[in-house]
Amino acid sequence: MKAKTILDVIGQRTTSQTGNQILSKRGRLAVALGIGTLAVAGPIAYSIQPFWVYLLVQMLVFALLALSLDFIFGYAGLLSFGHAAMFGAGGYAAALLIREVTASALVVLPTAMLVGVLTAALIGWLSVRARGIYFAMLTLAFAQMIYVATFTDLPAMILDTAMITGGDNGLIGIQLYELFGIDFRNRLNYYYLTLGIVALSLAGLVRLANSPFGRVLQGIRENEERIEFLGYNVRRYKIIAFSISGGFAGLAGGLYVPFQSVAEPGLLHWTVSGELVVMVLLGGMGTLWGPMLGAGLIVFLEDRLGGVESWEIILGSIFVAVVIFAPRGLAGMIIAVRNDPRAALDNAKRALRNYLQEVRG
Amino acid sequence: MVETIVRTALLGIQYGMTLALIATGLTLIFGMLDVINFAHGALYMLGAYFGWVVASTLGSFWLALLLAPLFVGVVGVAIEVLSLRPLYDRNPLYHILLTFGFAIMIQGAVVELWGGQTKQIAEPASLAGTLTIGSFDYPMYRLFVLVVSTLLIGVIWLAVERSDLGILMRASAHDSEMVDALGIDVSKVFTGVFVFGAVLAGFAGVLLGVSRSVNPGMGFGIIIEAFVIVVIGGLGSFRGAIYTALLIGLVSSFGALVASTLTEIFLFVLMAGVLMVRPNGLFGATEAT
Repeated sequence: MKAKTILDVIGQRTTSQTGNQILSKRGRLAVALGIGTLAVAGPIAYSIQPFWVYLLVQMLVFALLALSLDFIFGYAGLLSFGHAAMFGAGGYAAALLIREVTASALVVLPTAMLVGVLTAALIGWLSVRARGIYFAMLTLAFAQMIYVATFTDLPAMILDTAMITGGDNGLIGIQLYELFGIDFRNRLNYYYLTLGIVALSLAGLVRLANSPFGRVLQGIRENEERIEFLGYNVRRYKIIAFSISGGFAGLAGGLYVPFQSVAEPGLLHWTVSGELVVMVLLGGMGTLWGPMLGAGLIVFLEDRLGGVESWEIILGSIFVAVVIFAPRGLAGMIIAVRNDPRAALDNAKRALRNYLQEVRG
Repeated sequence: MVETIVRTALLGIQYGMTLALIATGLTLIFGMLDVINFAHGALYMLGAYFGWVVASTLGSFWLALLLAPLFVGVVGVAIEVLSLRPLYDRNPLYHILLTFGFAIMIQGAVVELWGGQTKQIAEPASLAGTLTIGSFDYPMYRLFVLVVSTLLIGVIWLAVERSDLGILMRASAHDSEMVDALGIDVSKVFTGVFVFGAVLAGFAGVLLGVSRSVNPGMGFGIIIEAFVIVVIGGLGSFRGAIYTALLIGLVSSFGALVASTLTEIFLFVLMAGVLMVRPNGLFGATEAT
């Protein structure tokens, strides 16, 4: 009954990889230190080459997206293969609002988040009846429907107006935010806005993960039936968790679109969702901070290697090597080195030996 | 009117049968190895490229159809032995990351070797032209694809359902430890299944490389369609994959007739509808194959 094992594994994992508490005191300190470093690194990067700040903003936005996915996937055990839908929905909401109503960040960003929540609530409500990989495929299906609707500008067709989503061209020329008179045309200011929002989001989600609500989610991941027997409404918890996750994905969209000045259907395509899952796995799922590193690393590599002709081969090789030699991702590597730096090297050697043995059969 | 319907139905069945070649491999690999093979689309693409290389250097479509799937099979052996075999007891989620890695590696290698431009495998001269029955005509090549893939699916069906090898495969999927205890090398069966899936995908790549174009994006284009088929049919279900592939083929061709821009939506509406009513797919969980 192999078919069951993977459904079980995706639906509920038996091994808890990080203990009960997300981020110990030391971990919190490390995260705070990391954010502080980023805050200092911004102006330095800017003075070397303004482009670096542009890249840093992109890395932060995808870190936020990966964080939102890890909350539902790594922490609650629900594999979403449609997170691009919430990302895109938030992005398009921001674009439309800025074009038609106001560019005030205080209005647009919360709206982008709300649109992410609502989109996720709808997709989640429709998808939770299935479990495991079937849940993932349902989220994919609804996300792709939204993608096609955006690509063909279905809303405009239905409402019989000239244009709403702008079809395959998308919406171009989206203005930057207005907030307390700060000039966001200076990339460095936008960088600080993004960094602040990402830091707040991480703090909020870590808090939520460690709250009683988060405990129930963890329980659902470990053993769904048991939680159900304890009297919790598992479906409702799943939908709420999915909506929260979607809210942060929408927020990421709201940060991304004005920065790029375009909202295009590509944001909603399944390849974005797929790449997000890869970012979470590479970073180390269930740790919340690991996937953020994974996302940052992938965005960075894609940009840096983009000029190299065979960059896809290099990126692919990295994924393959990580799975074989560092199955818990970047977070697992960092934890292992922190716990016992000397043993880490031995472990690596042992992993290589085991691998060669297994290949020989 | 009737002519259009017949033509569309034939197109749909032909496309569905080729999709079945891809989906069969995907579902067997899932059912037995418990691996969600994201590289399956890349293997299909590789088949098309190998086919193009053989056909354009040796000038024979038939040699391409014979050799290209075998080359893809060799790549399949490498992937299975070097990466999947040591990792079967790992969390299956990591197989997604692993095979995704291979998918982009293969895509990158193809772009590196043959560039990003679209290619086309030349149609064999013997299958050029159309078949005309009364006022109805139909391209010979498409008819050939229809017949060949239907025959092949039929043979696989018989092999899986009736032959000793099929019994061994289904037994390994059902309880690999028991089969191992009976003195059969399950890891060889696993390699065999993976390679078999790869060869089928490569074969489909050559077949469709004539009627559709050959390009580096075709792998990622087909993989989601193949997943949708496998999921609607019920993960791991052989029968389900074939029925659903046919259904999807027909939905695509008739969908294109009704509203060509929305065909992709039909696919996902169908999957969502099926999964809402039957959360384990049409043939899921009730069948061991």
